[in-house]
Amino acid sequence: MTVHNLYIFDRNGTCLHYGEWNRKKQAGISKDEEFKLMYGMSFSIRSFVSKMSPLDMKDGFMTFQTSRYKLHYYETPTGLKIIMNTDLGVPNSRDILHQIYSTLYVEYIVKNPLCALGDTLQSELFNSRLDSFVRALPFFSARAA
Amino acid sequence: MADDSLFEFLHMEIVSHVYKEHESRGDNDKERGTCVSLLELMGFRVGQGLIERFTKDTPSFKDELDVMKFVCKDFWTNIFRKQIDNLRTNHQGTYVLQDNRFTLLTPLSSGKQYLEEAPKYLAFSCGLLRGALSNLGLESVVTAEVSLMPACKFQVVVQKI
Repeated sequence: MTVHNLYIFDRNGTCLHYGEWNRKKQAGISKDEEFKLMYGMSFSIRSFVSKMSPLDMKDGFMTFQTSRYKLHYYETPTGLKIIMNTDLGVPNSRDILHQIYSTLYVEYIVKNPLCALGDTLQSELFNSRLDSFVRALPFFSARAA
Repeated sequence: MADDSLFEFLHMEIVSHVYKEHESRGDNDKERGTCVSLLELMGFRVGQGLIERFTKDTPSFKDELDVMKFVCKDFWTNIFRKQIDNLRTNHQGTYVLQDNRFTLLTPLSSGKQYLEEAPKYLAFSCGLLRGALSNLGLESVVTAEVSLMPACKFQVVVQKI
């Protein structure tokens, strides 16, 4: 069980952070294009899900999965989107993404006067804390199953 | 203090506002010195007021060292929710207050990143210390230094009149 990678986007679609732990295959397009694709797709899926829902929506788009990996999506009220790709054994990790937002992003980026909101995240402290947080997750192991 | 974040965010904005003001007026090298002293003066006035409030029920202090201990424990706890970690003195008017996890520096980095910017965020707190001591009867000069975030040292030199 493992985490493959993690994207953080802001409200305007700028990719603020990308972290990779266990990715075997690259997308074959440049990183910029990959970020645009990821953002655009999650935006579309989110609005699709809310439009087509046959019942009142509670949480909206949360995850999708294929036969090899699972994509988890979390959006904050302020428009920040956190997207994490893991393998299939991982249960719904909405809380984990929420924790990343509240204990890492808010503490180390929002409260850091030298990180302007909307810039890519430069703080080494944030990077190292995020890395150790992901590695400490119960379903993370350095080798993919 | 109701919520620490209010003070932290306000402090961030004050620092950036002071620096933006000076940039728009077009000073060059002088600006850094004047910004820091402006922030320090603000902290001074705030420190004076705060110490009046915090000591209104405490008995008067026996000596200088007692005053410094009060500042390190109660005053610092009331503002930053923790005590000063280490107080050293040469018993001749110089004190070094060491805080290993200074609240206003913890979100910045834990190490060397952003080290040059750190003094800006310490100026207000230096003034805070100086104002508090001044109202307790000790005129002093307070400087701060950072070598490894988020630890910092405040050096207080009490002026003997």
